Amino acid sequence: MQAIRVSELRKTFPAGGRVRRRDAVEAVAGISFSVAAGERLAYIGPNGAGKSTSIKMLTGILHPTSGEATVLGIVPWRRRRELAARIGTLFGQRSQLWYQLTPRQTFGLLARIYGVSRADEASRVASLGELLDATELFDQPVRSLSLGQRMRCELVASMLHEPEVLFLDEPTIGLDLVAKTRFRDLIVRINEQRGTTILLTSHDVSDIEQVARRVIVINHGRLIYDDRVSRMRRTLLGTKVVDVRFADPPAMVDVEGAMLEKLTGSGAKLVVDTTQRPIRAVLDDLLERYDVVDISVADPPLEEIVSHIYTRPL
Amino acid sequence: MRPYLAGFNRGLRGAVVVPGDLTVRMTFLVIVVLVMAALWSAAVEANGGSIEGYTRDSLLWYVMAAQVAVIAVRPRTVEEVGEEIGSGTVAVQMLLPVSVAGLRMSIEAGEAAARLAAALVVGGAATWFLAGAPPSGAGMAMAVPACALGAAANIASQHAFGGIAFWLLDAKSTWFVYQKLVFIPGGMLIPLELLPGGLEAVARVLPFATMAYVPGRLASGHAEPALLAWQAAWLVALVGVALAVYAAGQRRLEVLGG
Repeated sequence: MQAIRVSELRKTFPAGGRVRRRDAVEAVAGISFSVAAGERLAYIGPNGAGKSTSIKMLTGILHPTSGEATVLGIVPWRRRRELAARIGTLFGQRSQLWYQLTPRQTFGLLARIYGVSRADEASRVASLGELLDATELFDQPVRSLSLGQRMRCELVASMLHEPEVLFLDEPTIGLDLVAKTRFRDLIVRINEQRGTTILLTSHDVSDIEQVARRVIVINHGRLIYDDRVSRMRRTLLGTKVVDVRFADPPAMVDVEGAMLEKLTGSGAKLVVDTTQRPIRAVLDDLLERYDVVDISVADPPLEEIVSHIYTRPL
Repeated sequence: MRPYLAGFNRGLRGAVVVPGDLTVRMTFLVIVVLVMAALWSAAVEANGGSIEGYTRDSLLWYVMAAQVAVIAVRPRTVEEVGEEIGSGTVAVQMLLPVSVAGLRMSIEAGEAAARLAAALVVGGAATWFLAGAPPSGAGMAMAVPACALGAAANIASQHAFGGIAFWLLDAKSTWFVYQKLVFIPGGMLIPLELLPGGLEAVARVLPFATMAYVPGRLASGHAEPALLAWQAAWLVALVGVALAVYAAGQRRLEVLGG
């Protein structure tokens, strides 16, 4: 069963402005894809690629210029409120909790809005609290919660009406590494335990790797890549960026399997092709041969992956 | 109706759990009543004991009720609504399966109800101390629901004005104009009878007089039930306009990017 179907969806923001003329912007340029029920999809692209505009059309906020889409069999922009009762949304940069209230009070209001009975509300809040290890946060004022704690409560708010599809727009933005890892685990558990379809947008490559099974990349409003994450990992995520700080500035850094990209005083930036040599072997070599003070390993930025997609052989 | 009743309840609790805001408003109300008592005492005395049928004491009850009805409402809703629309926050509100304007108005009505109850007690006590008992028991009994209807009309009207931001993407200038309309033709500063003839005639056909003048007029000893019907009619119209503005605005919403 398909949870989401999109066909030649297009959104052009019209030209305007009498004093300073604005050109028309084609934010989404005719994309087509479908998402099966229970799937975990990453929907990614650089800034301005058209991700948020697509999500706004799929949640019924924006009307498309042309094309068709259904979410759970509903045309979103025609029956927005009906669809809203069956989907959940979580925006990393916009809160749905009321700051003067405790999360539990907000859940109460949301439960009434979604028509959830008080008995169901109590049992769902309890089970989600247990699942997300967040029960002790529910009676604290929202303003006193850390970002990571607040995001766990936001997730409870999004899941309270047991949505069939969950749209997550940059849900881990601003979280520290531990909170990010935990949050990703929670999304996967919700998907596995409840069968909720997940559509995730993120700039963080690790979000995609750890949450999604399938990835769609869009750029300039067009779909440029649609494949399994495991295959993307093999073909496009084969590099890691290693930042190292040494106790004494070395004249040169030479480690097998790592390409020195930058050497500035006591710092160096290396790019490791993990398909040639495992990252662990490279790190072992570095630590053994140099006096390392600090080291970090990161994924290549999303923009780099997109440029790889454009340059890869067809 | 359940989501909107829950919104009202949420607003009520929200206003009560932030006592700082309530305290500042009540202090301001007492100061306004004290200042107006001094001003109207001097003006009425200079005018031979009454102005347009209002005595010093009835004017103080007018001021109290007019201020209470306005002070209960968030003063910058027009601006806040405009910011929500301009910044795209309204898009997140549209993800709920309810009317965005309906839920917003019900929450603000809940907040206003809490402030209204407190303001009637504090303002009533201060005015009683300065001017004695209300000039008419019946008038005062009607002034209490009139304050509630006036506050509700104000909330609906602010949403209708703020919704203009769907087209202008900003409501700061609208708020500036709105505030002045409640102040003068709304009768918050002085009763409509004291305005110049032409301005009074205009003020009586505008909805703003339902927000301050009507509660004031009733509290000042004029037990005129028709004023309540006039308020109720405008309230229905203003809620309809606010919902229509939001519905039209949401259809043309063009929020680019995140």
